[in-house]
Amino acid sequence: MPIFILRRLLALIPVVLVMSIVVFLIIYLIPGDPARVMLGDGADESTIQELREQMGLDYPLVEQYGRWMWHAIQGDLGRSFFLQQPVSTAIAEHLAPTLSLAILAQFIAVLIAIPLGVRAAVNRGGIADKVLNAYSLLGISVPGFLLSLFFVLIFAVKLRWLPVSGYVPLQDGLGTFLRYMFLPSLSIGIVMSSLTARIVKASMLEVLNEGFVKTAWSKGLHPNKIIYKHVFRNALIPVLTVIGGSFGTLVAGAAVIESIFNIPGLGQMLVHAVERRDYAVIQGMVLFIAIVYVAVNLIVDLMYAIVDPRIRLQ
Amino acid sequence: MTDSAWGERKQQARLKRMIQSKRVRRFTANRTAVIGGWLMLLLISASLLTPWLARFEPQAVDVIQRLKPPSLTHYFGTDNLGRDVFSRTLSGMGISIQVGLTVAIISSTAGLAIGLYSAYYRRLDQVLMRIMDGIFAFPAVLLAMAMMAALGPNVSNLIICLSIVFIPAVARIVRSSALVVKEQTYIEAMRAIGASRARIVWLHIMPGTLPALIVQGSFVFAESIIVEAALSFLGAGIPAPMPSLGNLLSEGKAFIYNSWWMTLFPGFALIICVLAMNWFGDGLRDMLDPYGKTKRSRKTRKRSGSAQSAS
Amino acid sequence: MANQSLLEIQSLRTSFHTEAGIVSAVDGISLKIGAGEIVGVVGESGCGKSVTAQSILRLLDEKALTSYEGEVRFNGVDLLKLSQRQMRGVRGNDISMIFQDPLSSLNPLLTIGEQITETIRSHRKTSKKAALLEAIGLLQLTGIPSPERRVYEYPHQLSGGMRQRVMIAIALACEPKLLIADEPTTALDVTIQAQIMDLLVKLNKELGMSVLLITHDLGVVAEVCHKVAVMYAGQIVETADVATLFSNSQHPYTAGLLHSIPHIDRDRSKPLEAVRGFVPALHQLPKGCRFAPRCLYAEDQCLSDMPELEAKPGISSMARCWHSEKLQREEA
Repeated sequence: MPIFILRRLLALIPVVLVMSIVVFLIIYLIPGDPARVMLGDGADESTIQELREQMGLDYPLVEQYGRWMWHAIQGDLGRSFFLQQPVSTAIAEHLAPTLSLAILAQFIAVLIAIPLGVRAAVNRGGIADKVLNAYSLLGISVPGFLLSLFFVLIFAVKLRWLPVSGYVPLQDGLGTFLRYMFLPSLSIGIVMSSLTARIVKASMLEVLNEGFVKTAWSKGLHPNKIIYKHVFRNALIPVLTVIGGSFGTLVAGAAVIESIFNIPGLGQMLVHAVERRDYAVIQGMVLFIAIVYVAVNLIVDLMYAIVDPRIRLQ
Repeated sequence: MTDSAWGERKQQARLKRMIQSKRVRRFTANRTAVIGGWLMLLLISASLLTPWLARFEPQAVDVIQRLKPPSLTHYFGTDNLGRDVFSRTLSGMGISIQVGLTVAIISSTAGLAIGLYSAYYRRLDQVLMRIMDGIFAFPAVLLAMAMMAALGPNVSNLIICLSIVFIPAVARIVRSSALVVKEQTYIEAMRAIGASRARIVWLHIMPGTLPALIVQGSFVFAESIIVEAALSFLGAGIPAPMPSLGNLLSEGKAFIYNSWWMTLFPGFALIICVLAMNWFGDGLRDMLDPYGKTKRSRKTRKRSGSAQSAS
Repeated sequence: MANQSLLEIQSLRTSFHTEAGIVSAVDGISLKIGAGEIVGVVGESGCGKSVTAQSILRLLDEKALTSYEGEVRFNGVDLLKLSQRQMRGVRGNDISMIFQDPLSSLNPLLTIGEQITETIRSHRKTSKKAALLEAIGLLQLTGIPSPERRVYEYPHQLSGGMRQRVMIAIALACEPKLLIADEPTTALDVTIQAQIMDLLVKLNKELGMSVLLITHDLGVVAEVCHKVAVMYAGQIVETADVATLFSNSQHPYTAGLLHSIPHIDRDRSKPLEAVRGFVPALHQLPKGCRFAPRCLYAEDQCLSDMPELEAKPGISSMARCWHSEKLQREEA
């Protein structure tokens, strides 16, 4: 099993490398001098020079990348010129809301996707299958942020059941926290569940054809036991992959939702950084997301090992 | 069917459904593609005909008529500056479709070339596909937003950014279907008789990847409409006064308390555009590759980790 | 045989509903298995022998669109008339089954112990611990070394032969009266094949458990079975006790199968005789005798009328052939 983890880790290295280079090069898309663009036309030369030095723009490109990566590995993502604090600190401060949003949304997604996908696979062409087909088309065609706008219109503006926007940390009480988080996480959760449900169904259908399912029937087990204990557990690996993949996306992709609900998370920080052209923050954030991506992938790999003894006992 | 104990009727219903679904699938697939295609044409012509369909200019300000609910004069109501939401929605749709189509064409072309060459040259494959994987691993909205921040918000930059973001999705698909074509005997034969590489790649392998390319292109079309709207909504896409769907929704958000029409109608327009494209793509896929479904499920097994934007 | 039959299949017809129309993979089969008997069903692949096996436990219910006609009487009860719930009480309890490929037949994610105990516990109320002890006993019975360790292992840690023994242990969990073995040794090495067959014979003798053995291997049949049914294109073409079948086959297809077995002392200058032609597709069966297009003895009558499975004079076998007598003369 350690070999398995190591191999997965090695496979992720090139991806992370490319991601980091892409992130690093983004700054060079800027026409002209990044420091000058960041500070605007009114800035004086000495401030610009100071920023150039802080950003290390005077070094050759490869060295800049090397320095940047070297610092990043040590947890130093640079300093935000606008926030006047290290990027890593800023990220840490904005992490909690985004993380809670991601976890809640994932929870809702799984809660919808698994029963729906399982039923659709077990009873092909039945009601659940038809619902799933319509639902997955809806999930692809309705972006989460639009769904959340509609939800706000219905539940917050018309019915006044839930607050329109805002964020209350978990420490201030679970009830209030959930009231504020419900609509944002529901809208992301629904969109994600449609993708997950489709994978659950496809994966279930594949496992249903396997020999041990017939064995399970021949043992006289209850259908529910066959479906959940035998089929579903075996169908879980592709599902985990998708859940893991979407979790990384979630942390970043929630930007629009956060801005709609005015949630002070990473997404909102990113949007503000984009408005201010705060490149250190943008780079740091994007790199952070890349790291999250890798971390989530590793966790998913670990979960494979938990689910599948063939991997665990390698 | 000897007994009622195990639900004869249920069985028969299931039977009918299944036989039907198999026989009808190709036809329905076709129909979905056709409906999607027609819907798309309808939307495009509606946006082109905005000046004739709408009574008002999309940018015409009329402060006295601000925030008016839908009526026979203003079908979709008016916004905070008294602009006609109907004409703004139509032209916004036009802009979204234009951007989506351009992005789909550019990223399909680039993705085609990358996919073909990395399928053909093994060494190149290692490099190109690692790069594609790296880009693909970013959430679409995030990467596009970061690039837009550097380039500055305008339509052509937006098209460049979105195209880059979507190239990997196309390149991967093209590569995998090119690899299948490459193994065919006739390609071997071509090589044996000394055909040039360019000729083999473009004249003989490329046509085999076209179905997959067209299908993927239509999905990129749909996705880029969504990402464009998200970026514009955040102010990192099409600059403000231009009535793109994302901008309309962003304006609507500011007045969501009292003017539901400013959110609802552009929202539905966005959904219909994306839906039409997805129908078209779905139908096309089932038509061109009726076994595609099984193939795809195999692949998901091997951790493709399909990272769709959750925006 | 005069004794009361344990299982009595009466004109069973199993049909699948496909795009090409309704296809009967098993077409009017009748078969009796007495208590303590080992009955073999032989035939080429695609002849419907596996479908017959699975029809008894109605394992095709959940899959394709299947309909059953006829009767499958087990201890006098028609299994085809039971509800799904009652059927579950039969599966794995009164009748259990083992399959061809022991690797795919075991769930890769569950321990051996779990896969045995879940059968026990779904038919009987026992504690997990007691069930696990029983599982160890069962593994011992099937000849698996150090069973107390094996119960905690996973299928991928065992060899093919071991896996099939585990499958048998699962099948034995509730002391069934009938074991259906669907090509239990096809996927195994030759030496392992013999061991598994010996095990089945031993269990049959010691536990008095009847066995329905589905196989394409006439050699195996000769060694272990008491009675045989030969299947061709969804029908039984000949049934007899083993000695009679091998010494005095009444159907040209059986004869053909027997000739295609290589003998150690055969004349190697002559090619091995195979049954010529191919098994017809189920949706385009010939009108008369289904074997007629491949038969050396076929006449006009064979092509137009289907013979019935009938007792042949002076012998204990039944065959579905117009020309059994002619075959007798030629063979002699």
